Amino acid sequence: MIGIVNYGMGNLLSVYNAFDYLGAEVMICEYPEDLAKVDQVVIPGVGAFKDCIDKINLSGFCDALDEAVIKKAKPTLGICLGMQVMATKGTEGGIHNGLGWFDATVVRLSPGIATMRVPNIGWNDVRVDEKVPLFKGLPSTVDFYLVHSYFMSANNASDVVATYDYNETVTAAVLKDNIFATQFHPEKSQDHGLKILENFIVWRP
Amino acid sequence: MSKKRLIPKLQLRTSSYNKLKMVLVITKQFGHVIEIGDPVSQAKIYQDQAADELIFINIDKDEKSIDKLATIIRQVSQDIFMPMTVGGGVTNENDFRILLANGADKIAINTNAITDTSLISRTAKRFGSQCVVVSIDYKVDEMGINKVFINGGQERLNMDVVDWARKAEDLGAGEILLTSIDRDGMRNGLDLETISKVAEVVSIPVIAGGGCGLAKHFIDGFLVGKADAVTSGSFFAHRDQNLIQTRSHIKNAGVNIRVHT
Amino acid sequence: MVELKRCKKCLLPETHESIIFDGQGICNICRQNEFKNEKIDWSRRKEELTELIESHRGKYDYDCIIPFSGGKDSTWTLYYLMKEYKLKPLVVRFDHGFLRPNLHENTTKVLRNLGADFHTFTPNWKVVQKLMLQSFLEKGDFCWHCHTGIFSYPMWVALRYNVPLIFWGEPSAEYTSYYSYDQPEEVDEKRFNRYVNLGITALDMAVRLSGTNVDERDFKPYTYPPLRELRKLNYRSVCLGTYIPWDVKKQSKIIHDELGWQGDRVENVPEQYNYEKIECHMQGVRDYIKYVKRGYTRPTHLASIDMRHDRMEREEGLQMINQFEGKKPASLEIFLEMVGLTESEFFEIAQSHSVSPWKLNLVEQEAGEKLPDFNKWTREGKMKREDAEVQLQNWKKSQ
Repeated sequence: MIGIVNYGMGNLLSVYNAFDYLGAEVMICEYPEDLAKVDQVVIPGVGAFKDCIDKINLSGFCDALDEAVIKKAKPTLGICLGMQVMATKGTEGGIHNGLGWFDATVVRLSPGIATMRVPNIGWNDVRVDEKVPLFKGLPSTVDFYLVHSYFMSANNASDVVATYDYNETVTAAVLKDNIFATQFHPEKSQDHGLKILENFIVWRP
Repeated sequence: MSKKRLIPKLQLRTSSYNKLKMVLVITKQFGHVIEIGDPVSQAKIYQDQAADELIFINIDKDEKSIDKLATIIRQVSQDIFMPMTVGGGVTNENDFRILLANGADKIAINTNAITDTSLISRTAKRFGSQCVVVSIDYKVDEMGINKVFINGGQERLNMDVVDWARKAEDLGAGEILLTSIDRDGMRNGLDLETISKVAEVVSIPVIAGGGCGLAKHFIDGFLVGKADAVTSGSFFAHRDQNLIQTRSHIKNAGVNIRVHT
Repeated sequence: MVELKRCKKCLLPETHESIIFDGQGICNICRQNEFKNEKIDWSRRKEELTELIESHRGKYDYDCIIPFSGGKDSTWTLYYLMKEYKLKPLVVRFDHGFLRPNLHENTTKVLRNLGADFHTFTPNWKVVQKLMLQSFLEKGDFCWHCHTGIFSYPMWVALRYNVPLIFWGEPSAEYTSYYSYDQPEEVDEKRFNRYVNLGITALDMAVRLSGTNVDERDFKPYTYPPLRELRKLNYRSVCLGTYIPWDVKKQSKIIHDELGWQGDRVENVPEQYNYEKIECHMQGVRDYIKYVKRGYTRPTHLASIDMRHDRMEREEGLQMINQFEGKKPASLEIFLEMVGLTESEFFEIAQSHSVSPWKLNLVEQEAGEKLPDFNKWTREGKMKREDAEVQLQNWKKSQ
């Protein structure tokens, strides 16, 4: 059973529909205690870093996530803002602490060229590490849909498993132990995105 | 760098043969409506043809239009896994909330963004700029100047297109959806001059529409008009073309666009 | 006349659907062909074919369904699966309404020679006519009923007879880039939507034909069955060409030698290609419409295959194209009767679908020579002009 965390932010319906379409058993976790019922955890998110981390704390999900993801090491997928809050800290609207699952800081995109807009919205060529099981069946460079102004700048290069260029190298996905997270939206990236979700469903790290 | 985007436009209306059914239509200069398909069926086709995004606009004007739109989007979301922009009679933050909860990613606002400009800033603040698409319809007046039209092209305002686009960005819009009413459905090409003027003056993406009849028109929209995305309804409905074919023409012209195989 | 940019290797022009030229001016279809020859482990693929077949053999009333037209590809598919694997297939044909006499003879010969159950379906002609006219008007391609019927109807048969394995012939990667050889090409609804149905499902067509007296039930043969039904069947709908390398020249010769399958002349095609597209007496019109829209047609297609297989030089190819392309077919008069149009309307409609940068330079020309079986092609069921007018006027208003 896959559990999608509902802490009050994020387009849950698309993520739910994608897993449902692929034939997985999936539920929305409305309450922290729901996490105990699931085998895999998905953390979506759209919006700002501070709002996100505040809502996770206020809703009581913080401890339940620690239990499920860190202690019980359930396979976990973070998407977009859901990935960013896994960092040590974020810099959007001030310095704020994240969940600290990755030794990283969330920084603003700064391409430095007028024609390269922020937020970056659209399809981009993402280079993926083909050895990673979550990328199985994908070519080495894949188009994914991204919509973001900030990204996770990881302090350990080994955590980074996908990047793309926006006049600088931008982290597109990270992986450590049982936690995998993408800056792009697999549920909005058609076939290749669905492939990642399919791989996540059978992922046993 | 984000790739240029190809976005089918799906205009919805109640069928004139069955009041209970919403159908897809194409228009000519915002008039002469022709029914061309079923919304869910066409959305699936566009997904299988690897469209970059979809734009759904409900052109019916009645108090139930948001609910009807939400119902269609909800159904479409079960099988569609790409970004969707949705609009048509969106008036307030609650309409945004309903449509986003039913699967939309971005909301297009038009008339109500002009009659109450705070709608742009309020929704940008609450949902994020990337969620707010300001849709601008325009026509050339007797003096040859582009004037903004509202209410589905019924009412002319004394407002210049380029000025309004710039103001919309300042207020917090994430994207501009620009449609030439004169060229809508005429298949004679996009209004490249106006598109390039708007693209020059705003730093947010511009989605250009109105007039595509050949693959070449899309290419011009990107290379000459400097649009970030081109949208069309009539072209894919009434031409021996599909998204993959059009994409390959665009790619052959040297435009950085997604190629799906 | 507009000069079209062409692939440096195979001569396919820029107006060919899905073609992309790389930095060397070589097209993606040539590259796909290279991949097919150099990168695929065909012996591994053959093993996969065997596994697939053995997992279905003997478990159902038929081992598989083979959709069949009687042309070179479906005949080869039937021959190969029966000879190599001794399968018990159900051969299923969707009759588009224009099958030629020689094709009927071939079908009888092949089926009697090989021995298989044959299921054929001919849809309501009155519905077919409306569909032909509507799809010609809106898509510049009158074969919507055939494209959709051929790919949907056998799936309904699979459901009805409870036979999950369906074998089609060549993968589309042979000729276009909707799929490439390095991707699995399942013959499913996605492929149907991607290019087969011209971007129009039966449900969409019903909306487009609202108000023209068509019964909703008439659309069923053209409707792709619901995925949930096919999943319940555990269906596998695959191309034989995914498992064995496709070579039309070699394959046509084998079915000719082994089964007595005969080629036929096709309008405006050099005689040595008498194995290609022999099924349909509207082929000449189909090919001509392609020329009007895209500035190339069957001779280019045939030359491109030969050039990719190093069987023809570029000069020879260009010469053949110049000699045979662009000629009006004798069968045009039959087509016009079937859909109730005049010749000038035909050109107006076809040209409205021109693919940039091609623009036809319309020159009055004599129709080509009639084929020997021309007089055997039925002239029954002409469209009444007043019926055609209804669809034509609606279309004119939208242009």
